[in-house]
Amino acid sequence: MTSLFINEQEVEVTPGTSILEACREHGVDVPYFCYHPELSVAANCRMCLVEVEGWNKPAASCCTPVSEGMKVKTATESLEKDRQMVMEYLLIHHPLDCPVCDQGGDCKLQDYAVEHGTSKGRYAEPKRAVINYDLGPFVNTCMTRCIHCTRCVRFADEVAGTGDIGVLNRSDHMTITGIVEEALESELSGNLPDVCPVGALLDKPSHDVSRPWEMTRHHSTCTQCPNGCDIQIESRGDEVMRIQPVENSPEPWICDRGRYVYDAFRSDHRILSPKVRSGDELVSVDWGDAFARTTELLKDKRVGILFSPDWSVEGQTAIRLMRDTLFPDAKVAYDLHRRDMRVFAFEEGFSMTTAQIADADQVVVLGSDLRQRLPLLMQRLRKRGRAGKPVSRIGAMNYRTNMEISNDAIIRPRDWAAVIARAMEQVRDLGKTAAGFENWLKAVPGRHEAGKVLADALMSDSCALLVGEEIRSHEDAAALINGLDLLMRACGHAEAENDGRNLMPEGMNTQVLAAIFGDVRASAGELFAAASAGELDALILVGSDPVGDGLFPTAAKAALASVPLVQIGAISGQISEYASVQLPAAAYSEIEGAFVNMEGRIRVASNPIKSLGQERPLWKVMMRMIQVMGGEVPVVNLTELRDMTRQRMPALAAAWDASEKDSVLIAPARNKGVELVPAKATDKFELDVVSRYSFYREGMWARASDLLSEAGSIHAMDDVLVHPDTLTALGLSAGEHTVRTFLGESAYYIGVREDVSPGVLFVAKRGVGGDLSDVSAASIIGGAQ
Amino acid sequence: MTIPSDPKQVKQICFDRINIPNVNTLSVAREHGAYEFLPTVLKEFDSARIIDEVKTSGVRGRGGAGFPTGLKWSFVPRNTGKPTYLLCNADEGEPGTFKDRDIMRFDPHLLIEGMIMAGFALGVHDAYIYIRGEFLHEANVMNDAIAEAYAANLLGDNILGSGYSMNLTVHRGAGAYVCGEETALIESLEGKPGRPRFKPPFPAVEGFYGCPTVVNNVETLATVPAILKFGGDWHASIGIPNNTGCKIFSVSGHVNKPGNYEVPMGTSLKTLIEEYCGGLQHGSVPKVVIPGGSSTPWLLAEHYDTPLTYDDMVKAGSMLGSGAIIVMDETADVVALSRRLAHFYAHESCGQCTPCREGTGWLERIMVRVENGQGTEDDIQVLKEAATHMAGRTICALADGAAAPILSMLEHFPEEVRARLVEKAA
Repeated sequence: MTSLFINEQEVEVTPGTSILEACREHGVDVPYFCYHPELSVAANCRMCLVEVEGWNKPAASCCTPVSEGMKVKTATESLEKDRQMVMEYLLIHHPLDCPVCDQGGDCKLQDYAVEHGTSKGRYAEPKRAVINYDLGPFVNTCMTRCIHCTRCVRFADEVAGTGDIGVLNRSDHMTITGIVEEALESELSGNLPDVCPVGALLDKPSHDVSRPWEMTRHHSTCTQCPNGCDIQIESRGDEVMRIQPVENSPEPWICDRGRYVYDAFRSDHRILSPKVRSGDELVSVDWGDAFARTTELLKDKRVGILFSPDWSVEGQTAIRLMRDTLFPDAKVAYDLHRRDMRVFAFEEGFSMTTAQIADADQVVVLGSDLRQRLPLLMQRLRKRGRAGKPVSRIGAMNYRTNMEISNDAIIRPRDWAAVIARAMEQVRDLGKTAAGFENWLKAVPGRHEAGKVLADALMSDSCALLVGEEIRSHEDAAALINGLDLLMRACGHAEAENDGRNLMPEGMNTQVLAAIFGDVRASAGELFAAASAGELDALILVGSDPVGDGLFPTAAKAALASVPLVQIGAISGQISEYASVQLPAAAYSEIEGAFVNMEGRIRVASNPIKSLGQERPLWKVMMRMIQVMGGEVPVVNLTELRDMTRQRMPALAAAWDASEKDSVLIAPARNKGVELVPAKATDKFELDVVSRYSFYREGMWARASDLLSEAGSIHAMDDVLVHPDTLTALGLSAGEHTVRTFLGESAYYIGVREDVSPGVLFVAKRGVGGDLSDVSAASIIGGAQ
Repeated sequence: MTIPSDPKQVKQICFDRINIPNVNTLSVAREHGAYEFLPTVLKEFDSARIIDEVKTSGVRGRGGAGFPTGLKWSFVPRNTGKPTYLLCNADEGEPGTFKDRDIMRFDPHLLIEGMIMAGFALGVHDAYIYIRGEFLHEANVMNDAIAEAYAANLLGDNILGSGYSMNLTVHRGAGAYVCGEETALIESLEGKPGRPRFKPPFPAVEGFYGCPTVVNNVETLATVPAILKFGGDWHASIGIPNNTGCKIFSVSGHVNKPGNYEVPMGTSLKTLIEEYCGGLQHGSVPKVVIPGGSSTPWLLAEHYDTPLTYDDMVKAGSMLGSGAIIVMDETADVVALSRRLAHFYAHESCGQCTPCREGTGWLERIMVRVENGQGTEDDIQVLKEAATHMAGRTICALADGAAAPILSMLEHFPEEVRARLVEKAA
């Protein structure tokens, strides 16, 4: 430790800390504009000047490292004058339009002008005006207000990785501007207004509508991806105005999806009153009538229950209680992307925190479009890459990451077994092996060179394996995951203290779901098949959209053609056209409840926003349903429900009761004794189908948001893509072609892109892809007429 | 070389061959001693000895800051696993300076030889000359000389069979003054906009592409061959202690014979002007002398006898800088002078730091008004504060340079400024 004196107070900090950071750590206030704890140091605003004894001029504290015995003064008459002058320099060209600026009231420049500035500027010459530029649908620019701190430039370079903001010109002609004349190519663009210390970059959707001091802040958890970021929902009255990241939470940023989904809270897609179907229409009725219809459809019937993983933990328990009381034989499904329901050697969830992943010696991403799936984890990997640490990747598509991947291999999903086998052989030859190796290797005929990328990374001391959707939704997923598990065990990455096995879940609460529903779980596909086969009388759907999302839209439509649907939830979605009854449940912004993210962190939301309509927290809807259908109501308040949850899941209780935040993480399930080996491939179709997960379009909340939909249309790709060689081999070129799958034949516009693995049909735009969502293999059979 | 081995006899070092016709060609240069001592250095000297000789010589950076060159070289860490780079700062942007230009256009082989020796001492295999963009002719001369040196195996692989290899590349700047600042030069050479970096880390540790880097001025490097040939002690005996060797002064302004003059350090300003430059155009003492390029504070008639050394110039309240002496006699308009310099700095500020970006433009605009007789008493106070709080508060010294003329004018010629104010003019 280095000890130094700040204003005569002796303090100790880690060697290499800057003076500014030392001051921040010890609660000494030093003003600054350009410094940002998450960005590199620029040292250009010169607001953070301090005096160091023995130095002949003031030092910028942000870029001056501490040294032993250094005597720092942060408040002297001379520094006060310097700060006053910096404020005067900055305000030379800054417009005095605070009354019409969104930043007003929440602006560093304004605050420091009061604290350090003089009441009158002496600049009497012409002022500068600057041309604005386009930063996409989420960021508004007013560049005359810019103070050139370059935080946005550094954000684009270092965090977003897009590098599309830069500095032009010099002296007082210097301007910050977009390098290209188009929208910012970043899924993190909404952070720019937060990063900007003044009103130059502003949040476009909330532009000119409210003032910071009118907002009420509600601490909550984002459920738009399994990362489950802490968010602060800002509302004026009961209207959500914007969503912001929370300071001192694990992630300093939030993504555009989590931030701009808020307009869905008030959209027409919300279910705000109980409804029953009358002909083609859903008609609002009172709760009593809706429950009467529900009882009629469900009482003493054989049902399948399908629900979203994103409800609070209490909501999930309530669903289980409803099932146990009313339908004790029913199977449940909560994952629309899993085809293989056999036991996984390591179940969904992360054994590492994202911070540990960023620090690991090696990171290998297997089959995932991480930037779309988990943009904040991607951002951490990018930061890691900038520090020179390797990130390797194997997958069906050269997914855009905005970083340099150190080792990359593009493969067909059917080659996964051969990739893993190749890796097994390599580590075995280096003396690392596990009990199941030989059986596993015997079952796989081929070897794929991409396995070297995996094996090389596994030879390090710590290796984070990020297993993505291409493997999780594989038809032979359990066998592949078993193979990966063997590899990780062999290389010492499966011990309790050094567990590198991370399987990306589809949504939130995955550890809780496995514990609460493990014994009654089925795949969504199985439920639809059972319904189509007449084995079920009705389906209950609690907040998800199997027609709009997932791998079973065709199966879902077929099932719903034969059985009625009771839909409970906050958003209608594409499934609503099949619903016989709709019961409104509160959105995640409107409830008290706990959530668990992929790392096993628990978050409790406690000050909800007022409900908009007649929706009620899910657990209340469930209890009411039990009551009207003649069951015995198991819990009558949230405390009882939480106690019930604790009983069912002791690990959750431990995390819940932990005195310190995040000190107890809930570990994902591990299953011993899985001996699955890959099945023989049946090459009925030449091409493997991989569906794109679009950050802006996946999930019913995102599709209900106009803001995200607009951004999605900017970032859209061609409908269906293949590698150019794939078409050339068939004697075809890009255009409309017939595709054959197990569901039959239909025509699609097929584009070409080098990024797609040869032998893969990449469904870039779901919905347009239609029936291709259901299949894992297909053949192109030529030009359609 | 005709440099005498008796240090007392030495009159000039870098300009030793400057008047020899066609000495820019390798054959003529070699006839006059170029590369004569290089084989000995490559064969018999080692890195430590060379750095020692340069340390002993007391030579200080000729680009402006006057930092001891040997010390700078000794800061370069060894065995980092990264390459070390030698960059020659030939940006020569400081207004009033034109000395490096003459070395490069008349005696390019002197610079090349100095760079090979410096590169050899520092274990450098890739060296660059970052040359001012406007020096097209000089760049061509340099490139021709480098091509000849390559052909003669003085550059490239295994130089003269010594086993040491070094490549030398000329890179032309794009006209930014600030790129003469060593870290801005590095940024520019890396292909980025030329904006100075904050220090630490210093270039010796993390410079060009994050590798250990030495940046030396042309004149500094051109001194190295003589130092190694005659020894550090020899050089240390020229001039006066702590200010050793000879220095080229680029004299301009109201003198009868402006030009480059190399004299031993310690020669007085008066001697230089009277004996070498043919005296002043008007009067017997100068009104203002800017001794080290436009960024240095002004000297007045009372400083006419000051010896030209780093230390004496500091004592007199200014700096030796790059040795660009701008002389103003009694006919000079100091307000116009300040305004012109303010314009230069406002144009050249890189725009990074708040005080410099906003302050330089502000100073210029006020100076324009004052020059035009539209200034007020308040403007004097604003000029003073705006200039004072720029200097020393920014990443590089450009703001100090911008403040210097304004502060000198206000300090030494307040009456001339006041006479231009609006009340007086009316």
